[in-house]
Amino acid sequence: MKVHTSSKLRKEFIKKWVKGLQICCSLKKNMDILERKKKIKLCADIALASTKNETTLWSIALISDAKKDDENKILVDNLLGPESRFKPRMTNRQMIACHKRVRSKKILKKSRHVCQKMKKMGPPKSNLAAYIAKTLVKRRTQVLKRLVPGGESMDEFSLIKEALDYVLSLRIQVDVMRTLANANEVLNQSDSKIID
Amino acid sequence: MEKREETCTELFQFGEESEFQSLMSVVPPPETGNSFTALLELPPNQAVMLLHSPEETAPDNFTSPEFLETPNSILPNSSPNNFSLVKQEPVDSDSVHNSSPNMSDPVISKSTKRKERGKNVKSAAKKSKSVANETDGDKLPYVHVRARRGQATDSHSIAERARREKINARMKLLQELVPGCSKITGTAMVLDEIINHVQSLQRQVESGSLMDGNGNFTGMVSPPLSNQIWQPDGLTPQPLWGVEEMNPNFITPENSLLSYDSSRSSVSLHTNQLKMEL
Repeated sequence: MKVHTSSKLRKEFIKKWVKGLQICCSLKKNMDILERKKKIKLCADIALASTKNETTLWSIALISDAKKDDENKILVDNLLGPESRFKPRMTNRQMIACHKRVRSKKILKKSRHVCQKMKKMGPPKSNLAAYIAKTLVKRRTQVLKRLVPGGESMDEFSLIKEALDYVLSLRIQVDVMRTLANANEVLNQSDSKIID
Repeated sequence: MEKREETCTELFQFGEESEFQSLMSVVPPPETGNSFTALLELPPNQAVMLLHSPEETAPDNFTSPEFLETPNSILPNSSPNNFSLVKQEPVDSDSVHNSSPNMSDPVISKSTKRKERGKNVKSAAKKSKSVANETDGDKLPYVHVRARRGQATDSHSIAERARREKINARMKLLQELVPGCSKITGTAMVLDEIINHVQSLQRQVESGSLMDGNGNFTGMVSPPLSNQIWQPDGLTPQPLWGVEEMNPNFITPENSLLSYDSSRSSVSLHTNQLKMEL
Protein backbone atom coordinates (compact mmCIF):
# COMPACT_ATOMS: atom_id res chain seq x y z
CA MET A 1 0.00 0.00 0.00
CA LYS A 2 2.77 2.30 0.85
CA VAL A 3 4.34 2.19 -2.57
CA HIS A 4 1.54 2.85 -4.91
CA THR A 5 -0.43 5.25 -2.87
CA SER A 6 2.33 7.54 -1.99
CA SER A 7 4.66 7.33 -4.93
CA LYS A 8 3.21 10.49 -6.34
CA LEU A 9 3.74 12.27 -3.07
CA ARG A 10 7.24 10.92 -2.85
CA LYS A 11 8.12 12.18 -6.26
CA GLU A 12 6.88 15.59 -5.42
CA PHE A 13 8.74 15.55 -2.18
CA ILE A 14 11.99 14.58 -3.79
CA LYS A 15 11.68 17.20 -6.47
CA LYS A 16 11.16 19.94 -3.99
CA TRP A 17 13.83 18.66 -1.72
CA VAL A 18 16.44 18.54 -4.41
CA LYS A 19 15.51 21.98 -5.54
CA GLY A 20 15.91 23.28 -2.05
CA LEU A 21 19.28 21.63 -1.67
CA GLN A 22 20.42 23.17 -4.88
CA ILE A 23 19.47 26.59 -3.70
CA CYS A 24 21.17 25.93 -0.43
CA CYS A 25 24.39 25.00 -2.06
CA SER A 26 24.34 27.90 -4.38
CA LEU A 27 23.89 30.22 -1.48
CA LYS A 28 26.72 28.91 0.57
CA LYS A 29 29.51 26.75 -0.65
CA ASN A 30 31.44 25.07 2.06
CA MET A 31 29.47 24.02 5.03
CA ASP A 32 30.60 21.81 7.79
CA ILE A 33 28.69 18.70 8.45
CA LEU A 34 26.35 20.00 11.08
CA GLU A 35 25.31 22.92 8.99
CA ARG A 36 24.80 20.68 6.09
CA LYS A 37 22.66 18.39 8.13
CA LYS A 38 20.55 21.27 9.27
CA LYS A 39 20.07 22.47 5.76
CA ILE A 40 19.17 19.04 4.58
CA LYS A 41 16.63 18.64 7.27
CA LEU A 42 15.23 22.06 6.68
CA CYS A 43 14.85 21.50 3.00
CA ALA A 44 13.24 18.17 3.62
CA ASP A 45 10.78 19.64 6.07
CA ILE A 46 9.83 22.43 3.79
CA ALA A 47 9.51 20.12 0.86
CA LEU A 48 7.30 17.86 2.88
CA ALA A 49 5.07 20.63 4.01
CA SER A 50 4.78 22.05 0.55
CA THR A 51 3.46 18.80 -0.82
CA LYS A 52 0.37 19.44 1.18
CA ASN A 53 -0.43 22.69 -0.56
CA GLU A 54 -1.65 24.36 2.55
CA THR A 55 -4.41 21.94 3.13
CA THR A 56 -3.28 21.00 6.57
CA LEU A 57 -2.55 23.10 9.59
CA TRP A 58 0.73 21.51 10.40
CA SER A 59 2.18 22.24 7.01
CA ILE A 60 1.24 25.86 7.28
CA ALA A 61 2.74 26.03 10.72
CA LEU A 62 5.91 24.33 9.62
CA ILE A 63 6.54 26.68 6.79
CA SER A 64 5.73 29.80 8.69
CA ASP A 65 8.05 28.67 11.43
CA ALA A 66 10.78 28.17 8.90
CA LYS A 67 10.20 31.62 7.57
CA LYS A 68 10.71 33.23 10.92
CA ASP A 69 14.40 32.73 10.69
CA ASP A 70 15.81 35.41 8.50
CA GLU A 71 18.43 33.35 6.87
CA ASN A 72 16.00 30.65 6.03
CA LYS A 73 13.51 33.06 4.68
CA ILE A 74 15.36 33.56 1.44
CA LEU A 75 15.67 29.89 0.93
CA VAL A 76 12.04 29.28 1.56
CA ASP A 77 10.95 32.01 -0.73
CA ASN A 78 13.12 30.76 -3.50
CA LEU A 79 12.03 27.25 -3.00
CA LEU A 80 8.38 27.84 -2.89
CA GLY A 81 8.42 30.22 -5.73
CA PRO A 82 6.18 33.10 -6.49
CA GLU A 83 3.05 31.28 -5.50
CA SER A 84 4.08 31.07 -1.92
CA ARG A 85 1.37 32.56 0.11
CA PHE A 86 2.75 31.56 3.43
CA LYS A 87 3.22 34.44 5.69
CA PRO A 88 4.96 34.19 9.03
CA ARG A 89 2.14 33.69 11.36
CA MET A 90 3.11 36.36 13.73
CA THR A 91 5.88 38.77 14.35
CA ASN A 92 8.22 38.16 17.21
CA ARG A 93 6.47 40.59 19.45
CA GLN A 94 3.18 38.96 18.81
CA MET A 95 4.73 35.64 19.58
CA ILE A 96 5.93 36.83 22.94
CA ALA A 97 2.58 38.32 23.78
CA CYS A 98 0.92 35.12 22.73
CA HIS A 99 3.19 33.10 24.93
CA LYS A 100 2.49 35.33 27.87
CA ARG A 101 -1.20 35.03 27.33
CA VAL A 102 -1.00 31.31 27.07
CA ARG A 103 1.06 31.08 30.18
CA SER A 104 -1.24 33.19 32.28
CA LYS A 105 -4.17 31.20 31.04
CA LYS A 106 -2.44 28.05 32.08
CA ILE A 107 -1.81 29.38 35.54
CA LEU A 108 -5.42 30.38 35.89
CA LYS A 109 -6.58 27.04 34.70
CA LYS A 110 -4.36 25.23 37.06
CA SER A 111 -5.50 27.16 40.07
CA ARG A 112 -9.09 26.65 39.05
CA HIS A 113 -8.53 22.98 38.73
CA VAL A 114 -6.96 22.75 42.11
CA CYS A 115 -9.91 24.54 43.61
CA GLN A 116 -12.31 22.25 41.93
CA LYS A 117 -10.40 19.26 43.04
CA MET A 118 -10.54 20.37 46.61
CA LYS A 119 -14.24 20.88 46.36
CA LYS A 120 -15.18 17.58 44.92
CA MET A 121 -13.00 15.24 46.82
CA GLY A 122 -15.91 13.03 47.63
CA PRO A 123 -17.57 11.96 44.41
CA PRO A 124 -14.46 11.39 42.33
CA LYS A 125 -13.57 8.46 44.46
CA SER A 126 -16.35 6.53 42.83
CA ASN A 127 -14.87 6.95 39.42
CA LEU A 128 -11.33 7.46 40.36
CA ALA A 129 -10.28 5.38 37.44
CA ALA A 130 -12.01 7.71 35.06
CA TYR A 131 -10.39 10.65 36.67
CA ILE A 132 -6.97 9.12 36.39
CA ALA A 133 -7.61 8.17 32.81
CA LYS A 134 -8.62 11.70 32.06
CA THR A 135 -5.47 13.13 33.51
CA LEU A 136 -3.35 10.70 31.62
CA VAL A 137 -5.05 11.57 28.40
CA LYS A 138 -4.61 15.22 29.08
CA ARG A 139 -0.93 14.85 29.69
CA ARG A 140 -0.49 12.97 26.52
CA THR A 141 -2.42 15.38 24.42
CA GLN A 142 -0.15 18.07 25.71
CA VAL A 143 2.87 16.12 24.61
CA LEU A 144 1.35 15.47 21.25
CA LYS A 145 0.66 19.11 20.86
CA ARG A 146 4.29 19.84 21.31
CA LEU A 147 5.32 17.26 18.77
CA VAL A 148 3.09 18.13 15.92
CA PRO A 149 4.12 21.42 14.38
CA GLY A 150 1.65 24.09 15.16
CA GLY A 151 -0.13 21.85 17.56
CA GLU A 152 -0.51 24.25 20.40
CA SER A 153 -3.16 26.22 18.70
CA MET A 154 -5.33 23.33 17.75
CA ASP A 155 -8.21 21.87 19.60
CA GLU A 156 -8.11 18.21 20.47
CA PHE A 157 -10.20 17.15 17.60
CA SER A 158 -8.22 18.70 14.82
CA LEU A 159 -5.05 17.81 16.63
CA ILE A 160 -5.74 14.18 16.10
CA LYS A 161 -6.48 14.67 12.45
CA GLU A 162 -3.33 16.70 11.97
CA ALA A 163 -1.31 14.11 13.79
CA LEU A 164 -2.65 11.47 11.44
CA ASP A 165 -1.62 13.42 8.43
CA TYR A 166 1.70 14.35 9.90
CA VAL A 167 2.54 10.75 10.63
CA LEU A 168 1.79 9.79 7.06
CA SER A 169 4.00 12.49 5.67
CA LEU A 170 6.76 11.79 8.12
CA ARG A 171 6.80 8.23 7.00
CA ILE A 172 7.30 9.30 3.44
CA GLN A 173 10.10 11.56 4.46
CA VAL A 174 11.88 8.94 6.48
CA ASP A 175 11.50 6.42 3.75
CA VAL A 176 12.96 8.61 1.08
CA MET A 177 15.82 9.68 3.25
CA ARG A 178 16.63 6.18 4.20
CA THR A 179 16.74 4.93 0.67
CA LEU A 180 18.94 7.80 -0.24
CA ALA A 181 21.27 7.09 2.61
CA ASN A 182 21.44 3.45 1.67
CA ALA A 183 22.20 4.32 -1.88
CA ASN A 184 24.93 6.63 -0.69
CA GLU A 185 26.50 3.89 1.30
CA VAL A 186 26.42 1.41 -1.49
CA LEU A 187 27.85 3.85 -3.95
CA ASN A 188 30.58 4.94 -1.63
CA GLN A 189 31.58 1.38 -1.13
CA SER A 190 31.67 0.77 -4.80
CA ASP A 191 33.59 3.95 -5.38
CA SER A 192 36.19 3.03 -2.86
CA LYS A 193 36.51 -0.32 -4.50
CA ILE A 194 37.17 1.27 -7.81
CA ILE A 195 39.75 3.60 -6.40
CA ASP A 196 41.50 0.77 -4.65
CA MET B 1 -20.31 -11.07 8.27
CA GLU B 2 -23.28 -13.30 8.10
CA LYS B 3 -25.42 -10.99 10.02
CA ARG B 4 -24.59 -8.20 7.76
CA GLU B 5 -25.68 -10.18 4.78
CA GLU B 6 -28.82 -11.03 6.59
CA THR B 7 -29.66 -7.47 7.12
CA CYS B 8 -28.82 -6.73 3.56
CA THR B 9 -31.32 -9.18 2.30
CA GLU B 10 -33.87 -7.98 4.72
CA LEU B 11 -33.37 -4.49 3.57
CA PHE B 12 -33.89 -5.36 0.04
CA GLN B 13 -36.99 -7.12 0.96
CA PHE B 14 -38.32 -3.98 2.35
CA GLY B 15 -37.98 -2.53 -1.05
CA GLU B 16 -35.78 0.32 -0.18
CA GLU B 17 -33.44 -0.34 -2.95
CA SER B 18 -33.72 3.00 -4.55
CA GLU B 19 -32.75 4.64 -1.37
CA PHE B 20 -29.88 2.33 -1.03
CA GLN B 21 -28.65 3.02 -4.48
CA SER B 22 -28.84 6.70 -4.09
CA LEU B 23 -26.82 6.38 -0.96
CA MET B 24 -24.31 4.26 -2.73
CA SER B 25 -23.77 6.94 -5.27
CA VAL B 26 -23.29 9.47 -2.55
CA VAL B 27 -20.36 7.73 -1.03
CA PRO B 28 -17.31 8.51 -3.07
CA PRO B 29 -14.49 6.10 -2.58
CA PRO B 30 -11.85 8.06 -0.87
CA GLU B 31 -8.61 8.76 -2.59
CA THR B 32 -5.90 6.45 -1.75
CA GLY B 33 -3.31 9.08 -1.26
CA ASN B 34 -4.69 10.49 1.85
CA SER B 35 -6.91 7.63 2.56
CA PHE B 36 -7.26 8.27 6.20
CA THR B 37 -8.12 11.86 6.01
CA ALA B 38 -10.45 11.18 3.16
CA LEU B 39 -12.20 8.63 5.24
CA LEU B 40 -12.85 11.28 7.74
CA GLU B 41 -14.69 13.30 5.22
CA LEU B 42 -17.38 10.76 4.73
CA PRO B 43 -20.66 12.39 4.13
CA PRO B 44 -21.88 13.40 7.49
CA ASN B 45 -25.48 12.82 6.70
CA GLN B 46 -24.86 9.16 6.91
CA ALA B 47 -23.09 9.63 10.12
CA VAL B 48 -25.97 11.46 11.60
CA MET B 49 -28.29 8.66 11.13
CA LEU B 50 -25.82 6.24 12.44
CA LEU B 51 -25.24 8.22 15.53
CA HIS B 52 -28.67 9.06 16.47
CA SER B 53 -30.09 5.79 17.18
CA PRO B 54 -33.71 6.38 17.17
CA GLU B 55 -34.33 3.41 19.20
CA GLU B 56 -37.97 3.40 19.54
CA THR B 57 -39.79 0.26 19.41
CA ALA B 58 -42.01 1.22 16.66
CA PRO B 59 -42.50 -0.97 13.71
CA ASP B 60 -41.64 -1.33 10.19
CA ASN B 61 -38.85 0.04 8.31
CA PHE B 62 -35.35 -0.80 8.75
CA THR B 63 -33.13 1.90 9.78
CA SER B 64 -30.78 3.61 7.63
CA PRO B 65 -27.85 2.78 9.81
CA GLU B 66 -28.00 -0.74 8.78
CA PHE B 67 -28.02 -0.26 5.15
CA LEU B 68 -25.85 2.71 5.38
CA GLU B 69 -23.15 0.55 6.66
CA THR B 70 -23.12 -1.55 3.59
CA PRO B 71 -21.99 1.18 1.24
CA ASN B 72 -18.95 1.38 3.35
CA SER B 73 -17.99 -2.03 2.25
CA ILE B 74 -17.00 -0.58 -1.05
CA LEU B 75 -14.48 1.61 0.58
CA PRO B 76 -11.00 0.45 -0.10
CA ASN B 77 -10.04 -0.01 3.46
CA SER B 78 -13.08 -1.82 4.43
CA SER B 79 -12.58 -3.45 7.69
CA PRO B 80 -14.73 -3.96 10.69
CA ASN B 81 -13.19 -0.97 12.22
CA ASN B 82 -14.55 1.25 9.57
CA PHE B 83 -18.04 0.34 10.31
CA SER B 84 -17.81 1.39 13.82
CA LEU B 85 -15.96 4.41 12.65
CA VAL B 86 -18.71 5.63 10.48
CA LYS B 87 -21.11 4.94 13.18
CA GLN B 88 -19.36 7.24 15.44
CA GLU B 89 -18.62 9.73 12.77
CA PRO B 90 -19.39 13.12 14.07
CA VAL B 91 -22.27 15.24 13.35
CA ASP B 92 -21.23 18.39 11.74
CA SER B 93 -23.64 21.02 12.60
CA ASP B 94 -24.21 22.17 9.10
CA SER B 95 -24.78 20.02 6.14
CA VAL B 96 -26.74 17.55 8.05
CA HIS B 97 -29.85 16.40 6.62
CA ASN B 98 -31.92 14.35 8.84
CA SER B 99 -33.49 12.26 6.27
CA SER B 100 -36.26 11.53 8.54
CA PRO B 101 -38.04 8.80 6.71
CA ASN B 102 -35.01 6.82 7.46
CA MET B 103 -34.78 7.97 10.98
CA SER B 104 -36.81 5.12 11.89
CA ASP B 105 -36.71 2.43 14.03
CA PRO B 106 -34.50 -0.35 14.63
CA VAL B 107 -35.42 -3.77 15.34
CA ILE B 108 -34.03 -4.99 18.52
CA SER B 109 -31.81 -7.39 16.75
CA LYS B 110 -30.12 -4.48 15.18
CA SER B 111 -29.23 -3.00 18.47
CA THR B 112 -27.67 -6.17 19.59
CA LYS B 113 -25.67 -6.31 16.45
CA ARG B 114 -24.48 -2.86 17.11
CA LYS B 115 -23.34 -3.99 20.43
CA GLU B 116 -21.38 -6.72 18.89
CA ARG B 117 -19.73 -4.48 16.40
CA GLY B 118 -18.27 -3.50 19.55
CA LYS B 119 -16.30 -0.60 20.77
CA ASN B 120 -19.29 1.47 20.09
CA VAL B 121 -19.64 4.45 22.22
CA LYS B 122 -19.74 3.35 25.76
CA SER B 123 -22.86 5.27 26.39
CA ALA B 124 -24.67 3.10 23.96
CA ALA B 125 -24.65 0.37 26.49
CA LYS B 126 -28.15 1.03 27.57
CA LYS B 127 -29.97 0.74 24.39
CA SER B 128 -33.09 -0.95 23.27
CA LYS B 129 -35.77 1.46 24.13
CA SER B 130 -34.94 4.99 24.56
CA VAL B 131 -36.64 8.08 25.40
CA ALA B 132 -36.58 10.35 22.50
CA ASN B 133 -35.93 13.94 22.91
CA GLU B 134 -37.68 15.90 20.39
CA THR B 135 -37.13 15.45 16.77
CA ASP B 136 -38.88 16.93 13.91
CA GLY B 137 -39.22 14.84 10.94
CA ASP B 138 -37.99 17.55 8.66
CA LYS B 139 -34.68 18.10 7.14
CA LEU B 140 -33.12 20.93 8.98
CA PRO B 141 -29.74 22.49 8.77
CA TYR B 142 -28.91 21.65 12.32
CA VAL B 143 -28.74 18.47 14.20
CA HIS B 144 -31.41 16.93 16.22
CA VAL B 145 -30.04 14.63 18.74
CA ARG B 146 -31.93 12.14 20.68
CA ALA B 147 -30.85 11.29 24.10
CA ARG B 148 -30.36 7.73 24.89
CA ARG B 149 -31.88 6.13 27.84
CA GLY B 150 -30.30 6.82 31.15
CA GLN B 151 -28.45 9.86 30.00
CA ALA B 152 -28.70 13.48 30.70
CA THR B 153 -30.75 15.34 28.25
CA ASP B 154 -29.44 18.82 28.49
CA SER B 155 -27.83 20.22 25.47
CA HIS B 156 -24.43 20.50 27.01
CA SER B 157 -23.96 16.90 27.71
CA ILE B 158 -25.33 15.95 24.37
CA ALA B 159 -22.95 18.23 22.62
CA GLU B 160 -20.23 16.89 24.79
CA ARG B 161 -21.13 13.40 23.89
CA ALA B 162 -21.13 14.19 20.21
CA ARG B 163 -17.73 15.70 20.60
CA ARG B 164 -16.44 12.70 22.43
CA GLU B 165 -17.75 10.44 19.74
CA LYS B 166 -16.01 12.49 17.14
CA ILE B 167 -12.76 12.20 18.96
CA ASN B 168 -13.15 8.52 19.47
CA ALA B 169 -13.76 8.00 15.82
CA ARG B 170 -10.58 9.72 14.93
CA MET B 171 -8.68 7.84 17.55
CA LYS B 172 -9.77 4.69 15.86
CA LEU B 173 -8.28 5.83 12.62
CA LEU B 174 -5.07 6.67 14.35
CA GLN B 175 -5.03 3.28 15.88
CA GLU B 176 -5.17 1.70 12.53
CA LEU B 177 -2.41 3.86 11.27
CA VAL B 178 0.11 3.31 13.97
CA PRO B 179 1.36 -0.23 13.94
CA GLY B 180 0.53 -2.31 16.92
CA CYS B 181 -2.08 0.00 18.25
CA SER B 182 -5.19 -1.81 17.29
CA LYS B 183 -4.96 -4.15 20.20
CA ILE B 184 -4.66 -1.48 22.76
CA THR B 185 -7.74 -0.30 24.48
CA GLY B 186 -7.95 3.01 26.10
CA THR B 187 -7.22 6.42 24.81
CA ALA B 188 -4.25 7.08 27.00
CA MET B 189 -2.27 4.10 25.87
CA VAL B 190 -3.07 4.69 22.25
CA LEU B 191 -1.95 8.26 22.58
CA ASP B 192 1.19 7.00 24.17
CA GLU B 193 1.95 4.82 21.23
CA ILE B 194 1.20 7.57 18.81
CA ILE B 195 3.53 9.90 20.60
CA ASN B 196 6.27 7.33 20.57
CA HIS B 197 5.75 6.75 16.92
CA VAL B 198 5.88 10.41 16.03
CA GLN B 199 8.96 10.90 18.13
CA SER B 200 10.73 7.98 16.57
CA LEU B 201 9.85 9.20 13.11
CA GLN B 202 11.21 12.60 13.87
CA ARG B 203 14.38 11.14 15.26
CA GLN B 204 14.78 9.06 12.16
CA VAL B 205 14.45 12.14 10.04
CA GLU B 206 17.21 13.77 12.02
CA SER B 207 19.56 10.87 11.74
CA GLY B 208 18.63 10.39 8.12
CA SER B 209 19.53 13.91 7.26
CA LEU B 210 22.80 13.47 9.06
CA MET B 211 23.57 10.39 7.09
CA ASP B 212 22.64 12.06 3.89
CA GLY B 213 24.97 14.86 4.76
CA ASN B 214 27.66 12.31 5.43
CA GLY B 215 27.15 10.61 2.16
CA ASN B 216 27.43 13.78 0.24
CA PHE B 217 30.50 14.69 2.10
CA THR B 218 32.36 11.53 1.30
CA GLY B 219 31.00 11.62 -2.18
CA MET B 220 32.58 14.94 -2.67
CA VAL B 221 35.85 14.09 -1.05
CA SER B 222 36.71 11.16 -3.22
CA PRO B 223 36.73 12.92 -6.56
CA PRO B 224 38.25 16.20 -5.47
CA LEU B 225 39.11 17.20 -8.99
CA SER B 226 35.62 16.96 -10.26
CA ASN B 227 34.52 18.88 -7.28
CA GLN B 228 36.30 21.94 -8.46
CA ILE B 229 34.63 21.76 -11.75
CA TRP B 230 31.22 21.40 -10.33
CA GLN B 231 31.30 24.02 -7.70
CA PRO B 232 30.88 27.05 -9.87
CA ASP B 233 27.55 25.69 -10.95
CA GLY B 234 26.51 25.22 -7.38
CA LEU B 235 25.75 21.63 -8.06
CA THR B 236 27.78 20.07 -5.33
CA PRO B 237 25.11 17.80 -3.97
CA GLN B 238 24.35 16.64 -7.45
CA PRO B 239 27.30 14.41 -8.27
CA LEU B 240 25.77 11.79 -6.11
CA TRP B 241 22.59 11.77 -8.09
CA GLY B 242 24.40 11.68 -11.34
CA VAL B 243 26.44 8.72 -10.21
CA GLU B 244 23.37 6.87 -9.18
CA GLU B 245 21.92 7.01 -12.57
CA MET B 246 24.99 5.56 -14.06
CA ASN B 247 25.15 2.61 -11.78
CA PRO B 248 21.67 1.28 -11.60
CA ASN B 249 22.70 -2.22 -10.75
CA PHE B 250 23.98 -1.09 -7.43
CA ILE B 251 20.74 0.32 -6.33
CA THR B 252 18.26 -2.12 -7.67
CA PRO B 253 17.06 -2.92 -4.18
CA GLU B 254 16.17 0.68 -3.80
CA ASN B 255 13.83 0.69 -6.70
CA SER B 256 11.98 3.67 -5.48
CA LEU B 257 14.87 5.92 -6.26
CA LEU B 258 15.18 4.67 -9.75
CA SER B 259 11.59 5.26 -10.48
CA TYR B 260 12.08 8.88 -9.73
CA ASP B 261 14.65 9.27 -12.38
CA SER B 262 12.21 10.92 -14.65
CA SER B 263 11.41 13.58 -12.14
CA ARG B 264 14.99 14.24 -11.44
CA SER B 265 16.24 13.91 -14.92
CA SER B 266 15.99 17.56 -15.66
CA VAL B 267 17.84 18.32 -12.49
CA SER B 268 20.69 15.95 -12.92
CA LEU B 269 20.92 15.61 -16.62
CA HIS B 270 23.63 18.16 -16.95
CA THR B 271 25.56 16.58 -14.14
CA ASN B 272 25.52 13.42 -16.13
CA GLN B 273 26.97 15.19 -19.05
CA LEU B 274 29.65 16.70 -16.91
CA LYS B 275 30.56 13.34 -15.57
CA MET B 276 30.73 11.94 -19.04
CA GLU B 277 33.13 14.59 -20.05
CA LEU B 278 35.40 13.73 -17.21
